[in-house]
Amino acid sequence: MGEIVLKNVTKKFGSNTVIQNLNLTIKDGSFTVLVGPSGCGKTTLLRMIAGIGPQTSGTVCIDGKDISEVAPGDRGVAMVFQNYAIYPTMSVYENIEFGLKNNHIPKDKRRKLVDDACEKVGLQELKDRQPNALSGGQRQRVALARAIVKQPSVFLMDEPLSNLDAKLRVQMRVELIELHHKLKTTFVYVTHDQIEAMSMADTIVLMNEGKIMQMDSPRKLYRDPDNLFAARFIGSPAMNIRRFGNEEYVLGFRPEKGIISTQEPQGCYRTSGTVVAKEDLGSEIHYSVRDMYDDVSVIRSEEDDITVGEKVWIGAKPENIYLFGNDQLRIREDDPRYPDLCRQVLALQ
Amino acid sequence: MYKVRKRIGSVISVILKLIVSFIFIFPFLWMLSVSLQSDAETQSMSLTLIPKVLQFQNYVNAWHSAPFPLYIRNSLLIIVGIVVLQMLIMVPAAYAFAKMEFKGKNILFGIILIAFMMPIQIRFIPIYFMMSDWNLIDTLWSQIIPHMTDAFGIFLLRQYFMQVPDELIEAAKLDKSTDLQIMWKIMLPMSRPGVASVILLSFVGHWNDYFWPLVMTNSDAVRPITIGVARLKATEGSLFWNTIMAGNMFLVIPVLIIYFFMARNIIKSFTYTGIK
Repeated sequence: MGEIVLKNVTKKFGSNTVIQNLNLTIKDGSFTVLVGPSGCGKTTLLRMIAGIGPQTSGTVCIDGKDISEVAPGDRGVAMVFQNYAIYPTMSVYENIEFGLKNNHIPKDKRRKLVDDACEKVGLQELKDRQPNALSGGQRQRVALARAIVKQPSVFLMDEPLSNLDAKLRVQMRVELIELHHKLKTTFVYVTHDQIEAMSMADTIVLMNEGKIMQMDSPRKLYRDPDNLFAARFIGSPAMNIRRFGNEEYVLGFRPEKGIISTQEPQGCYRTSGTVVAKEDLGSEIHYSVRDMYDDVSVIRSEEDDITVGEKVWIGAKPENIYLFGNDQLRIREDDPRYPDLCRQVLALQ
Repeated sequence: MYKVRKRIGSVISVILKLIVSFIFIFPFLWMLSVSLQSDAETQSMSLTLIPKVLQFQNYVNAWHSAPFPLYIRNSLLIIVGIVVLQMLIMVPAAYAFAKMEFKGKNILFGIILIAFMMPIQIRFIPIYFMMSDWNLIDTLWSQIIPHMTDAFGIFLLRQYFMQVPDELIEAAKLDKSTDLQIMWKIMLPMSRPGVASVILLSFVGHWNDYFWPLVMTNSDAVRPITIGVARLKATEGSLFWNTIMAGNMFLVIPVLIIYFFMARNIIKSFTYTGIK
């Protein structure tokens, strides 16, 4: 129905190469999120699939068919844009109907399809409105309905929630997940927000500087990052890191796996410092502790009597520590260097 | 103190506006006044501003002293021809300059801007020869074809089209629209004020055009109203200013009517800030 394969795609803007020889397979029916910092090439990739920013070289296939030379309107894809891109001079109904009209679908069938799409996103009451009389959330729904109505095999979404307020964003997130379940087609979603990526995706493609850093399920990406970039990008507050062994290696641990105590912890990596901030978020408490190198974050879910300015010990158990080499790649348990590095970490002060 | 200063400021601003308005409106009001005066009033040494008796007969005289219905018909045919052809040519041109990438785009646009800066008096001799070669002198076509496109119109429309976000065009392409559909169904409706002002500027410019038809025509059958009004002077022999001004009113009234209908759009087009 909607498997997307990108083969050796390269994209250049003038002399500037944004993506070089990238290969990616997006599974049919998956909710794949392309995530990464600004300028990492995720939107460029999406526009390649849509055909509105074609690749300089390489091929894009949907369902095994090379669509590199196929016009955007004939690719069987629908796209939701960041600023919605609703036609301002057409009513909600006309906006949704426009694509069907261009596809020469008969009028009564069009009406039925538009009605169905409106129902799916909750726009039944607003069909005759003009776009300027809609709120941001409603415009977003029009953009979604316009995509749904075409019954595409692939949905492409370019940061569709970034213009909404925080509360609406959370609500729309849930609605998009539901919509994916209902439609069972391939969703490709671009965002720079790792929380959106974690909460919606079944597969995350993490990108940086035009390269795929890791492609995995949210859980695997969080718990088992392949490299330092993935480890640092996913998770908030970010993973704590420290260089060791003549700056050659990096150790990291997640704030929620950190131990904070007034006593020196045993059998752990440990460091001591002063509490510089304590943020009580209700369900959890975030500590920032400054040791001799850097600030370290620790999250605790229980109340305790540690106060700002107090000298404390920070620790992390060996099983919660991630090790990375000079090449930024992960050093896993099966690596010959692992046992020795572990010993070094435990001996660190 | 601040309030007083603000008051004085606004009083000065109103006075200045009144002065400027007066400078622009007075000749028109005087024309209206003269067109309704008697012969004696127009020729007396003392200035008459409000006629004692309104002489509507002047309008009847003017109407009968030249074939005005024919002139008006010609003018309308020329204007409609020009505006329709201009839209058919300028809208796609402006769209291409605003939203398409092609080799030589900037050079071509530069050439158009140069044309925009060149007065018609420089170009009329070669165009005259061209029209003459095509046997179009003394026809309506020689008054339409040279004005089929207008550099300023292309420039203005291009500015409007550039304000339409690219995403809209991309969305339309994903909705399987052709460039032609994007132009007529999305760009044009979104640029309505701009299109209206281009049409109006073209209308006023060509309705009032005197030089071009004078060069291109020899007979009444194809002459527009401007030439007709000017000929009032000749046909009347001695100068009957009231009749001439009445003829001028025929020239001005259609422009006023159009302006009143389109005023809102035009003001919008010159104060436009962008599409939200």
